Amino acid sequence: MRAAAGCTGVETPDAVLVQRARDGDAASFDAIVDRYYGDCLRYAARMLGNRADAEEAVQDAFLRAYRSMGRYDHRDRLRGWLFRILVNRCRSLAEQRLRRRRVLERFREAEPPAAETWPEEPGDGPPEAVRAALAALPPDQREAFLLKHVEELSYEEMAELTGTGVSALKMRVKRACDRLRVLLMEVEHGRA
Amino acid sequence: MDELDPRLRGVADELRRPVEPDPAAVRRLRAAVRAAAEGPAWRRWLRWTLRPRPVSLSPAGVLAVLVATAAITALGTARLAPRGAEGGPPAVAAAHAPGTRPVRFVLVLPGAHSVHLVGDFNDWSPGATPLADGGEDGVWSVTLPLADGRYAYSFLVDGARWTPDPQAPPAPGDDFGRPSSVLFVEGST
Repeated sequence: MRAAAGCTGVETPDAVLVQRARDGDAASFDAIVDRYYGDCLRYAARMLGNRADAEEAVQDAFLRAYRSMGRYDHRDRLRGWLFRILVNRCRSLAEQRLRRRRVLERFREAEPPAAETWPEEPGDGPPEAVRAALAALPPDQREAFLLKHVEELSYEEMAELTGTGVSALKMRVKRACDRLRVLLMEVEHGRA
Repeated sequence: MDELDPRLRGVADELRRPVEPDPAAVRRLRAAVRAAAEGPAWRRWLRWTLRPRPVSLSPAGVLAVLVATAAITALGTARLAPRGAEGGPPAVAAAHAPGTRPVRFVLVLPGAHSVHLVGDFNDWSPGATPLADGGEDGVWSVTLPLADGRYAYSFLVDGARWTPDPQAPPAPGDDFGRPSSVLFVEGST
């Protein structure tokens, strides 16, 4: 979707789109959606582990962004601003899913449940070993790893959008990397 | 600290591959933004009624409007008077919070002793939302005001039995093989 926005070679600057959207131009907000939906969906899908939850988080984030356009500071980078909202939505949704999981565990019936499955993504998803290892990371480490090494944000940008200090973020990323190496080895060893 | 070894660089590359958006989901988002831009139904209605517009009426038309207005006023006065005398409250249509719409959940299950609803809307709290007694026909129901969105939910029968809604599609997610159901609410704003 991002390529489509730039296919003419001249991309309307984010600040202009935001100003037009604030003035009620729906097409300008559509252009913002076209430009950043893909990035947001990728982060949410990797963070939450399934497409349906990811789409819900992204929709909610864009709606909140639309309703908060008046508070957008033109000095912010739009992608970072959207990600700040999205990261919070993903955290809330993940907590909700965790509560559901706990309730399910409480009311688990006597017979053994069906095997837990990692929800399928359409064919272009990462390999199962990668998905399983990522899912096994604690959420704060998964979030830090994705923002740093997948979304390629700087630690300063990450600190701004997560509200966590740079040192703590560096530690989370390091722990995530250490844990991922172990998890990947376990998965690969288990298969051998 | 930022450098990744080849194994993790491969992982990051895999995770960096784009996730193709579902055009239906993008359409839903655009529709939700349009709805948010227009505001709730009562505000759209108010805007429509307050918008000035030219009206042309013939003398006969003016007379018809006056007669109709007088008739409605007379009828209304006649019907309201007895109720006021009885002291009863005026009939009020069932209301719900702005930005939400009432959604009725129904489970037909004769023989159940209790049915509760658990879902995203009540933080999956098992005792928070009981369904009204099913009676002999076993129809259990509850109506909740819900804002636009996607909700996963399930029924909890007799305090222990996890029962997805047979009328709704299953919700994907980490459900230990015990599917919940999913509901989309649209058009409440």
